[in-house]
Amino acid sequence: MIDPSLQRGRCHTPSTFAITAGLLFALCTPVLLAQNAAEIRFENHQLHSGVDFVLNNGTTSDKPIVDSIPGGVALLDYDNDGFLDIFFANGAQIPTLTKDSPVFHNRLYHNNHDGTFTDVTDRAGLRGAGYSMGAAAADFDNDGWTDLYVTGINRNILYRNNHDGTFTDVTDHAGVSGATSEGKKLLAVSAAWIDYDNDGRLDLFVTNYLDWTPETSKVCGEPGKRLSCPPSLYPGQPNILYHNNGDGTFTDVSVAMGIASHIGKGMGVAIADYNSDGWMDIFVANDNQRNFLFRNRKGKGFDEVGVEAGVAYTEDGIPVSSMGVDFRDYRNDGKPGLFITALGGETFPLYRNEGNDLFSMDTYPAKIGFSTYKMSGWGAGIYDLNNDGFKDLFSANSHVSENADLDPQQHYLQPNAVFLNLQNGTFQDVSAQAGTALSLRAAHRGCAFGDLNNDGKIDIVVSSIGGPAELLYNTSESANHWLLIQAIGVKSNRDGIGTQIKLTSASGVVQYNQVTTAGSYASSSDKRVHFGLGHDKLVKEIELRWPSGAIQILHNVKADQILKVTEAAS
Amino acid sequence: MKAIWLSLVWITVASPAAFADSCTAIEPQLKTISKDLGRNATTAAENLLAPLEAAHPDCAQLLLVHARIKAAQGSVAEAQELFLRYQEQAPDDSTGMAYFARFLIDQAEYQRADDLSASALDRGPGDPAALAVRGQILDMKRQSQLGLELLKRSCELDPDNADAQFQLGALYDRAKRPADAVKHFQKVVDLDPGYPPAWDYLALNLEPLGEVERADAAYKKALAVNQDGPHFDAFLDYNYGRFLAKRDQLLESKRHLDRAVELVPDFRATWYDRAKVNLRMGNYPEARTDAEKAASLTGQTGGIIDLQIYALLEQIYRRLGETELAEKYAALTRETPPPVRKGYEQAPPQ
Repeated sequence: MIDPSLQRGRCHTPSTFAITAGLLFALCTPVLLAQNAAEIRFENHQLHSGVDFVLNNGTTSDKPIVDSIPGGVALLDYDNDGFLDIFFANGAQIPTLTKDSPVFHNRLYHNNHDGTFTDVTDRAGLRGAGYSMGAAAADFDNDGWTDLYVTGINRNILYRNNHDGTFTDVTDHAGVSGATSEGKKLLAVSAAWIDYDNDGRLDLFVTNYLDWTPETSKVCGEPGKRLSCPPSLYPGQPNILYHNNGDGTFTDVSVAMGIASHIGKGMGVAIADYNSDGWMDIFVANDNQRNFLFRNRKGKGFDEVGVEAGVAYTEDGIPVSSMGVDFRDYRNDGKPGLFITALGGETFPLYRNEGNDLFSMDTYPAKIGFSTYKMSGWGAGIYDLNNDGFKDLFSANSHVSENADLDPQQHYLQPNAVFLNLQNGTFQDVSAQAGTALSLRAAHRGCAFGDLNNDGKIDIVVSSIGGPAELLYNTSESANHWLLIQAIGVKSNRDGIGTQIKLTSASGVVQYNQVTTAGSYASSSDKRVHFGLGHDKLVKEIELRWPSGAIQILHNVKADQILKVTEAAS
Repeated sequence: MKAIWLSLVWITVASPAAFADSCTAIEPQLKTISKDLGRNATTAAENLLAPLEAAHPDCAQLLLVHARIKAAQGSVAEAQELFLRYQEQAPDDSTGMAYFARFLIDQAEYQRADDLSASALDRGPGDPAALAVRGQILDMKRQSQLGLELLKRSCELDPDNADAQFQLGALYDRAKRPADAVKHFQKVVDLDPGYPPAWDYLALNLEPLGEVERADAAYKKALAVNQDGPHFDAFLDYNYGRFLAKRDQLLESKRHLDRAVELVPDFRATWYDRAKVNLRMGNYPEARTDAEKAASLTGQTGGIIDLQIYALLEQIYRRLGETELAEKYAALTRETPPPVRKGYEQAPPQ
């Protein structure tokens, strides 16, 4: 049968329609540096760092869908020595889903303060079990020591920090195994520590992907040319919210809080108080389904308002393959926006927060549309990478399928990307100018952001399937100043997660950020809040709005320091 | 080299022998005319044809040339009559069949075109014209791989055939292979800079490659040559309007989308995209009108599915404070399943 719609000559169909059915049946600069702006440069210091981690996805010739999605990274100071250490989540043998070889162990590397790291996995007791995906670090028991939650296909594990360089698996006691009340373990990818009810104790949100087991695994593509099957072949799963009871145990409140009724295909998760009501909200990036925005009902429950807010779909009204996400104010207007990574041909959605419970798609207006159209991304971050006072964008890139190159338009191995904030609401892809480390093509996955060497510049650790992790040290040369704020909660949770920080520098530039370790893809970043200050050596005012409701204001703070702020008594 | 050899063999073997003698004296002129037609230079071809017809009334190939000229000019009845006369005189000429089949596609006589193109290829398996039209038909029959191979062979044998280059480019476009598509559309505009759809397609395929300035220049070229006539591209303003919206040039984008709505008022996509631009500009009442109009159009959607309309209407009503309507469309948006991502349907589970 002839399809006349495919006739061409007199008129033609716009080719950019993304939807197959519709398509078939249709008719026929140079780098601009703004004020205080400086170039962004990274160097990969992995080779001599002692970090020899290689992400092993345990893939088989059938290329099961799960082999494409591991690779979380956590930056945490587990021993309170003031320097960030690195944790990597790792895969397992398929189909047994067991870490039956050291190549599948999760890894913890201790920061030696001199650019080198020591593998302390065994001593710490963090080899892990099962097929791990992601990690989330925070002090859930308010004892001043950072704990760790590891997500995975068949095992989620909560590790309590023993204050002596070791951890104890407290999953069963805590009741955070990631299983439903019927005992079915869900396929967890990311997790976020959040004090959703502002009771001073960190609760735990876990994103779950889809209903996959080795027994139900589908196979796609020809033998020898297997491709990762699409997520549409599997039913989605609900996410989980655990309430921290304050006694080392948690209660699954997913149903009561309005989380469980929303079935998605959760990958990345990020938190922010997007409507400035004093309660942290949750965004879940869903793969090929509408994204979820859980608006916090003052700790009493959540309303899923992704559609209403305009972040469920792109402005084209269709879902994309959302992977990683960060949720921060990239316009210095006090309204957190969303940066999401997706697959090639989709662009990376950037949502501008309009401030009235509505978002608008900013991808093309902010000038990242054309450049991200060709990219497939996982890890994502909104961080000021050149300390000019304006947050930039970073994405860790790679196609999903190891055999993607069978299609000449696709590339499995891709370089990471960095977009410079031009301080006028737009960005510029400066990846090509950011050093050779940014030109390395690899199967990048998760990435975590933090200052590894306490020099005031945000570094990035990226995992890569089948290759060494990348330790991207920020070597941007500039005279710009900075401030790192470590919030220490008293009435609020000890990490101060959820604290909203407004900073006014001497020159009058106002910036906003928040305390969180969540964001990116399956990863967990530095809990210290970073601000670039441009030429300002002095911060006129810092306002901290703690989750407890307390407001604390600091005046005339010197730049270029790590500032510890303890929550005031009143 | 192989292509040239095949082409020579084809010319030697397949020229209609019965008329070879009467046309021999004007072979150079016939080649020139054919080249002109290949790059859509109809007027030049017509100017050459007139004296030849008077001097060589027995040369049947002039009939075919005449038919092609009339077809290019949109003189359907005359073209058809000339094609039929040529067929009577040269019933086994694959080239004649091929151009007739190409004409029939334009007249939406697909079954006849299918039959004729198959016969053309049977008789002339190395005839570039037959390869091109059969490739196009096979692509329309969703035998795209085979269609691709025939079109590629046609373009190798006769790289100056703008129509074959265009069809091959269009096939790559639909296969989401913009880098390949660009090569062929660039060839078309090199051959025929006055063909607006080729510039339009070139621009569309430069967009995903991130070649923004080149795309902009191609769109502008297309607009400059988009005159009334058989090659008028009614969707050019639509495509350029969308492109300008991506570049955040909203006023200019709207100007082109306004024109697109006038040109193709029954096409859902034009109203939909103008609604999106109006929404971004804060023209909420106009956005509403456009989106509601788009919702009412179901015949020619231009790839815009209901889910997209619902999501847009929800956002517009919410900004207009029409809460009840916004809630209604929010519910519809949630209830409507998303489309399967392109490419996934081609990798079924085994």
